Amino acid sequence: MYFFLQIATSGIATGAIYGLIAVGYSLTFMTTKVLNFALGMWVMLGGMLTYSLIVLHGIHPLIVLPMVVAALFLLGLAAERFTVLPFLRAGSDVWVMSTLAVGLLMIDLSEIVWGRSPTPVPPVLGKEPIYLGEVSILPQQLIIIAAACITFLALDLFYRRTLTGKAFRAVAHSGDVSGLMGINTRRLQAVSYAAAAALAGFAGFLVVPLTLAEPQLGTVLGLKAFAIAIIAGLAAPRGILVCGLGYGALEALISGYFYTGIRDILGFLLMILALFLKPEGLFGRGVEERA
Amino acid sequence: MTARGWLVGLALAALVLLPLFVQGTYYRFLGIVVFIYGIVAVGLNILAGYAGQLSLGHAALMAMGAYTTAILTKALAPVAFFAATGLHIWLGVIAGTAVAAAFGALLAFPALRVRGPYLAMVTIAFGWVIFKVLQEWVSVTGGDLGLASIPKAQIGLYIFDTQSFYYVVLALFAVAFLLQQQLVGSQIGLAIRAMKHSEIAVSSVGINVHRLKVLVFVISAAFAGFGGTLFAHQQNYISPDNFQFFSSVFFLLAVLFGGAGTLLGPVIGAAVLTLLPEMLHDFEKFRLIVYGGFILVTLYFLPNGVMGLLERRGAARADSGSAARDAVQPDFAATAGASLELDNVSKSFGGLQALRDVSFRVAPGSIHALIGPNGAGKTTLINVVTGFYRTDGGAILIDGQAANIASMHDAARRGIVRTFQTIKLFGDMTVLEHVLIGLACHSGAGFRLPGRVQAREQAARNLAAARELIALVGLSRFEQTPSSALAYGHRRLLEIARALAVRPKVLLLDEPAAGLIAEEIASLAEIIRKLRAAGMTVLLIEHHIDLVVSISDRVTVLDYGAVIADGPPAAVQRDERVIAAYLGPFHALA
Repeated sequence: MYFFLQIATSGIATGAIYGLIAVGYSLTFMTTKVLNFALGMWVMLGGMLTYSLIVLHGIHPLIVLPMVVAALFLLGLAAERFTVLPFLRAGSDVWVMSTLAVGLLMIDLSEIVWGRSPTPVPPVLGKEPIYLGEVSILPQQLIIIAAACITFLALDLFYRRTLTGKAFRAVAHSGDVSGLMGINTRRLQAVSYAAAAALAGFAGFLVVPLTLAEPQLGTVLGLKAFAIAIIAGLAAPRGILVCGLGYGALEALISGYFYTGIRDILGFLLMILALFLKPEGLFGRGVEERA
Repeated sequence: MTARGWLVGLALAALVLLPLFVQGTYYRFLGIVVFIYGIVAVGLNILAGYAGQLSLGHAALMAMGAYTTAILTKALAPVAFFAATGLHIWLGVIAGTAVAAAFGALLAFPALRVRGPYLAMVTIAFGWVIFKVLQEWVSVTGGDLGLASIPKAQIGLYIFDTQSFYYVVLALFAVAFLLQQQLVGSQIGLAIRAMKHSEIAVSSVGINVHRLKVLVFVISAAFAGFGGTLFAHQQNYISPDNFQFFSSVFFLLAVLFGGAGTLLGPVIGAAVLTLLPEMLHDFEKFRLIVYGGFILVTLYFLPNGVMGLLERRGAARADSGSAARDAVQPDFAATAGASLELDNVSKSFGGLQALRDVSFRVAPGSIHALIGPNGAGKTTLINVVTGFYRTDGGAILIDGQAANIASMHDAARRGIVRTFQTIKLFGDMTVLEHVLIGLACHSGAGFRLPGRVQAREQAARNLAAARELIALVGLSRFEQTPSSALAYGHRRLLEIARALAVRPKVLLLDEPAAGLIAEEIASLAEIIRKLRAAGMTVLLIEHHIDLVVSISDRVTVLDYGAVIADGPPAAVQRDERVIAAYLGPFHALA
């Protein structure tokens, strides 16, 4: 039982990261149906910036956090303007390739700037585990879980309580009609893309003390987060948190009890299964197709 | 032979002769790589370019081919029989292609549920799973170290070296290219291209879109697997690194750069993208920057690829074979209209009852109008009759027989064919092509690639029939015009011609006059009368009361999902409830 709880706890922390990234896919999906195919690389960029500012420049993490988030937000705005907007017209899908291209550039540029070798980043509250009964948890893991929960709560309030949040949901439902109602859909599209990038940067900031800072950091994270967003439903932010945490725990248990190699494969099999059984996601609502 | 045909022939001759003038194996080796990548890119082009299904997992399909043949041939090589005949190599090539094709079918299943970008993301995940399995399943795949000393290609006792293998791969590449050309030019090719623009419209002409999609994935995967097997026997050593995600990006980039949905595009793309890095110093260090930059430059400046730049649209499309014009008569007379009967049909969406206990009968060979205010359930009724929705209750009878219509293509095959309120055409495909797709349903009960002579006869018959239908709706002048370039009224007519090509027993027209000007409505009425004269049953949904009254034999009125009147037009026009439904209760009182 102890082993089970121990593994599940650290799995949940990983799952919180997945959830944070996954909700980024949902943000852009809701407004433009666009997905940032390189969202994982944005996580990596956030992580590498964190590493650079904390380790190389000795800046306090509490100052680093807003810097990283703001930088990624601005970069996100720029990326949306130059690599998404030009290709949004005429219902084409080529932004798949352009968002991916940005990610490829990021990987190589990071390797040039920071090198390829993985480097550790010290966690904010040290490495001494905290004991909850027998189960130990790293302070950083606690921070991650708390940060994810707060982010999701804030998002939920934003979507349901604020006018802008309601505008988001309106645009998600029908961009054209929202435009006629006086909502600046163009700005919402740009902001949602940048917000997804900022969230990815936040996730990178949180995760990098647990992993190591390296340019290959984000690829798999981004893919797993996508699987989670699909399983939960791209239009269901609450479900994404639940699925993220559950996925993290499940994956940790599988590698704890069985075999690490099978862990990564499982997630994608689950995704394909979910697509087949409930294509709109476990928490998503179906939309009848029209002829 | 067209100018382009000559160019291709010339290029081929150059590729055959070139090695004779170039010293050393390096360039032949590069040539082999270009041909192999070309084969994979051609396969991806069929899927992504023509069918519009993005895949970023093709490297994994290639890996399936490579690993299958590697494992098989390594196991069989010691057997004396194989060592003497070299048969194991070709067994491996066939097995590798087959295994990849099987995985292609597997990959098609998510594609039945998700489209476009989401499918692309799923294919990335698929590629990644395969990559992981190759890494982890060490006992079979050799893990990260991969598989070494894969036998070289061999026939009898002759073992191919780079010099001679060049010609083998060149020949196989040419075969792959020809296969692509044949496929794209076939009836299947038409349907595949149409699917990219509107899956619903494709199924409305009686084509099973699910089966078509699986077929395209299987074909595309077979190309990738085939390329993979050649790769394995050329390299003699493979590892998971050969089949990374970035290789998949490479192939999609090759297709986009060369020109997606063009015959030569993927070949040009594969060649340029393979040879370009060879010329760049220090390429490996900046590989991703080069590819990333290349992608962006391509998307910005070559949205239709290199071929898009070269192609002068429309001008190149020669008018093929006008001699067949008088060969075949359209056989409307043979298509006796059926009766269509609805018996207590209901359909609801959540709490909304869109159709409640709707019953009426459309007599064979008549024009029957279905009218009603907006939201009365008219389009829902068409959707139910054509199998787009399943009924909640009640029965639909065709010629008195209860029909359990499972899907839109099923309905079309039973002769229940529709047009759409919001026009659904196939983008840049020509008017003629639209109608030919409609005819596909009858060219031998579905999709077979018939033998050449038969195929030619069938094609001539189809062409003649298509031209008759186009003439019927008055679009003969626009035979070679892409549908996207047609005027609005002409698009409506094209939809009707496409539906007619399926030879409907009952034709359902969903607001065909919407947005048409007076003259166009008059010619539409003329066309519909002609259809009745030929014996066809027409169910017409329309708001233009003048049109309805002037041509209909009988009118049914729907309001809030229920039939409120049914009778000859004159009687329905005077019906109090109908007047109330349209103009409000006060008018009825007045």
